[in-house]
Amino acid sequence: MQASDKTQNKRDLLLVVLLFIILGSAFLVFRMVAFTADASRAHIYYGIASEPIVTIDFIKGDIITHYRQPVPEGYENIYPLIDEDAQTITLLGDFAVGGTRQLVIIRYDFIRRSVQVIEEQSPNNICSREGESTGWPLICLPNRVRIEFESTDEDFIV
Amino acid sequence: MRKIMFIIITLASVLALSGCRTIQPEDELTIYHYAFYDYMDTFISITLTSTDEQEALAHRNAIEDIFSLYHHISTSYEPLPEDSPYQNNIYAVNQQPGTTLEIDVELYDVLVKAQHYHDLTDGYFDVSIGKIVDVWKTLAQDFKFSHQDPVEILKSAFDTAMDALDLIEVVEDPFDIWQEDGRYYVKINSEHVKIDLGAISKGVAAQKACDYLREQEMTYFSISAGSSSITLGQNYRRQDEEGVYYVSLANPLRPENPRDEPTTYGMIYVKDTGVTTSGNHEQFALYEGLRYHHIVSPFTKQPTHEYHTVTIIGDDAGLLDAISTALFSMSPSVFDDWMETHQETLGIEVIRYNVDGTISTFLTNTVFEERR
Repeated sequence: MQASDKTQNKRDLLLVVLLFIILGSAFLVFRMVAFTADASRAHIYYGIASEPIVTIDFIKGDIITHYRQPVPEGYENIYPLIDEDAQTITLLGDFAVGGTRQLVIIRYDFIRRSVQVIEEQSPNNICSREGESTGWPLICLPNRVRIEFESTDEDFIV
Repeated sequence: MRKIMFIIITLASVLALSGCRTIQPEDELTIYHYAFYDYMDTFISITLTSTDEQEALAHRNAIEDIFSLYHHISTSYEPLPEDSPYQNNIYAVNQQPGTTLEIDVELYDVLVKAQHYHDLTDGYFDVSIGKIVDVWKTLAQDFKFSHQDPVEILKSAFDTAMDALDLIEVVEDPFDIWQEDGRYYVKINSEHVKIDLGAISKGVAAQKACDYLREQEMTYFSISAGSSSITLGQNYRRQDEEGVYYVSLANPLRPENPRDEPTTYGMIYVKDTGVTTSGNHEQFALYEGLRYHHIVSPFTKQPTHEYHTVTIIGDDAGLLDAISTALFSMSPSVFDDWMETHQETLGIEVIRYNVDGTISTFLTNTVFEERR
């Protein structure tokens, strides 16, 4: 009876390992295949707005600011803050430390057509731990900043 | 049973993980992307293909040298650096009207082309009206249109610009160029002349880069010099479609109405050619509802208001750059007559977005799909 239980446990373990490998591999393959097309643009959204606050145009090598971020009194800078030399876009996140809202700094790369959240404060730092993205969306919570990519069939716009 | 399970797990792992890596044959080409930010106030991006990264890097460096050369000799904003290998640039030439200056053969060749395109377009392409262009550039910059804050040019500023333009003459014989004993010279003939090569040097540089890649027998490449000019080989990613590139045409109405207007208004399918657009949609200021920008007619000293964009397709990026600028200032009847005379000889095609919203095409081979 004991021997039968042991065999059963081993089979369960093997099944779990097998499922883990298959599902893990499927996730990796999905992530690699689903987001391999070169993005044309990346849109950065803040809050619940349906219009992006900034668009990164990888085809034209251009950064388009659509509107200024509403910022409470006491914050000196105007956001989004675009630094073309450092190739960064900075927004004011909703997550506050000691009453001060924290920055979300996003780096873009026109050549690699990629975006990376390089600095943000949040309980789990999920979006900055995602690393460099060329297609999969980056969602920064509770900062309420998200980045979505747009792929079109065009190679150039003139 | 254990062995069977082991084999199943191993096979499943191998099959699943094999999707993570693409195995390339040794002779398969790799696409390399490079970009330059420091030349001609333009974001220049190139893609090229090679089996070897070092070789690709060598091509990248050769192309950067080309853009660097044309940037330095044709800039009208700053003198050459002290350690520059070049003799005089356009900035130096413009600073010394009436003085003969020795220039490099590359600058001489650009000026020869500029004179040729001036004659070819019956004077509509004119690099000597830089002082007039500067007046409009300043106005368009000072009152640059933004849909967030859509202010118009102040009447006082517009009137001041008109007064400034009255004082600048368009000169019939603006400069002389000549060569003597293998050396090259230029002399500006009037205080009213400022040579502005902004509408030709980028195209010439792009064409030189294209010529270089063709000399290297490269089939698959692209050179994008800013948002208005591309020079194309074939598209490695679309070999199954005979190597075409999908090129969208920018919707010129979008700046004033970005929420409702789509980014583009149509698409062309091209390869082994160049595409250049001149338009009033990138940097402009509004005055009495009309767009004012830096493409200026040498005959009226003002921007014209006939078209939003003129897109030209053809083999020589320098020619396309110059001709699209010239065509933009022609009236529709002059434009149409000019195309009838020159289209076949020059092997060019044109798509014109008129200010009334209609589109005129002068196409022979290229497929254009309107998407509005």
